[in-house]
Amino acid sequence: MAKIIFQTSDVALNAQGSQGQTHTRGYVSDKELLKKRSKRYMDIVASLDAKTLTDTNGMDELMSALQEEFGTAEIQSLPIGIVSKCFLGHPYEVHILDLTATQIIEHYKRGEAMPGDYEKARTLALHNAYAVIEVYRDKMILIRDDGTTTKF
Amino acid sequence: MGDASDLYDAIYKNLDVINSNVAKINSNVVDIGEGLVKVNANVLVVSGGVEDLNQRQGILETDLQKLATAFADFVEADLKHKALALAETRIGNLRQELQIRFGFYAEIRRMATGILQSVDTGIVSDATLRTATEEVAIKAPGYWLAPALVAIASWIRDDRDTCAKAIRECLKRDDYKSTLFFMLVMRRLSRKEASLGWLERYFMHQNPYKLDREFIVVLEAITAGAFPPASRQLMMGQCKKWLDQLTGSEGFVEEQRSQWVAFFEASGPQPDDRYPQLKKFATNWALLEASLRAARTHAVLHAFFDGILTSSADLSKEVKVQLDEILSLLVSNFDDEELPWHEKVRLNELIIQLNGDEKSAQAMIATEKHVFQQNVDFLQLLTNAAFNPELAGATKTTQALAVSISQPWIVEAYDSFTAQCRSKIPQAVEMDVDGFKSSTKDGSDEKTLLAKQDVFYSQLLRSELAKLSFPFPMVAIGGLIGLIGLWGLLSDFPISAVPLVIGGIMGGVAIHNNQKAKAKVTEQVSQRKKAARGVLRACIAEAVDYRREHGAEDMKAESVRQLLTSITAEDFSSHSKDVARNII
Repeated sequence: MAKIIFQTSDVALNAQGSQGQTHTRGYVSDKELLKKRSKRYMDIVASLDAKTLTDTNGMDELMSALQEEFGTAEIQSLPIGIVSKCFLGHPYEVHILDLTATQIIEHYKRGEAMPGDYEKARTLALHNAYAVIEVYRDKMILIRDDGTTTKF
Repeated sequence: MGDASDLYDAIYKNLDVINSNVAKINSNVVDIGEGLVKVNANVLVVSGGVEDLNQRQGILETDLQKLATAFADFVEADLKHKALALAETRIGNLRQELQIRFGFYAEIRRMATGILQSVDTGIVSDATLRTATEEVAIKAPGYWLAPALVAIASWIRDDRDTCAKAIRECLKRDDYKSTLFFMLVMRRLSRKEASLGWLERYFMHQNPYKLDREFIVVLEAITAGAFPPASRQLMMGQCKKWLDQLTGSEGFVEEQRSQWVAFFEASGPQPDDRYPQLKKFATNWALLEASLRAARTHAVLHAFFDGILTSSADLSKEVKVQLDEILSLLVSNFDDEELPWHEKVRLNELIIQLNGDEKSAQAMIATEKHVFQQNVDFLQLLTNAAFNPELAGATKTTQALAVSISQPWIVEAYDSFTAQCRSKIPQAVEMDVDGFKSSTKDGSDEKTLLAKQDVFYSQLLRSELAKLSFPFPMVAIGGLIGLIGLWGLLSDFPISAVPLVIGGIMGGVAIHNNQKAKAKVTEQVSQRKKAARGVLRACIAEAVDYRREHGAEDMKAESVRQLLTSITAEDFSSHSKDVARNII
């Protein structure tokens, strides 16, 4: 089961060690977070599912795409995880890409509770209108297939 | 011996005395008994009296209460009466005072309407206009309308100098009202350039954080083409500037967004009875119903926005009437100076109207004030016009303009609303049919659920039957009696066949009764099962329909979103340009 770590200390965003990016103190406003997501980002998030856990490249790619997406963002303002529909098939329903420290993909079956803040995102993640749900410490951002965002 | 007989005599005598004494005592005791009976009766009478008193006291109490309320009523009525009398006296005094202080103002107002009419028709000579307007200018120093009328009169007779002076004077007295006045008069007389100039000045007066009520009408007039076409450019530029200013500062847009979300939430249609079985048997029906209502809202909102955006009625005539109304209000309304007096008069009028109820009159005047002194910021004005144009004093054209300007945050609010609805969609329909609890996502697992229900009832049957234990005691007693009979029979007592028979009957009856009860329970359970099966199937069928309808209604959100994102302010202005072209 994935762990959520609510620590506020600096955690290396990039699996290969950050290049000082996470140390920059850049406040990211909601406006910044709500900008349209790039196609690359959407593609990577969508393709991650198929690659599953064994392919570690996928996670690295996601990390770099995330950094590209949010620029020099402070770790606190980045999503703690991404929830989306799971296409592994029955009985799996949703999965979490944990972005805090453990950085793993965790798949959840129908009826299996997800940890903490993630459970709130479940119903929305299952809805066809949204491709993925970014879960933040204090909010969720719903991303549609075309990359447009909605704060919730 | 003689001594002994004496002693006996003495004893007898004493005995007699004692006897007679006892008899006396007896009679006394009887007397006491009688007395007690009397006392008892008296006590009864007293207690009756006390009860009577109690009753009387109760009556007195209610009487007293009645009196107290009557007294309070009287005091209140008296106060009202006095307030009424006072109000009547005051209103007379106030009116007199008003007449003395501002009597000329009323005359000027009457005159203003007359002058405007005569300018329209051109039936009054310049000389008359000149004398009349100059006279009021002397009579009412400080009132802005007087020099404004002088300006109009001098303008008509081409007296440029006087006109400029008069305009300068009225602008000095009340810049805002004079500007509005000239803007409206120039528009009425179709002096395009002049009205545009005044319009520009009018816009400069406006504070986007605190707009006047009539601003919406001016906005409307411009969008409907009542002002010259160049005014649209002016308005769009001004609106854009205000928007940048307001959207730049946090909070304003946020406020509008939450108002829109609240509006969306409140737009849901009334629930109907399409799913009677689920309503009865679904334990999470409240959630299901709320979610369906939210989903059905999208269709309502689609109709709402579609109605706004596709309406293209030519409303310029109506708008012109409204503009003239502002003009007539402007010239006929009281000046700020006299307003406090008029308010006092109004309060006293209300007191008289309400038969001296001062409190209600105060409350009424407070709400009246609130309605008329409503200053709103530009974004709020747009939102008001978009929600309910009639209430905001706007028409469909302005509503469309308001929606198109507010589009960015309407879309945001709509997205939030949709996400909120979707996050609250219940994942399963939870049912409780006759104690059998089950849940289905979309009704596709009917077979599994029915099988589970079968299992539930066979278990129920088993447990119900287990409750009817075999009647061991009766059978045992019957057997024992039978044994005794058997023993008797074996020891050649033919009479002992009787216990044998009794024992046999006892045991037999007990077993028979047990069998009967079992059959009854089995019958009951199978009846219940039959009914419950029907209900469960109906519930599942409704769950299927529910999900289908919910899905379809939910998808309408996407078309509303498309509709909303397709609006742009430019689109609207081209649309209104057409309207303008039609008019000019």
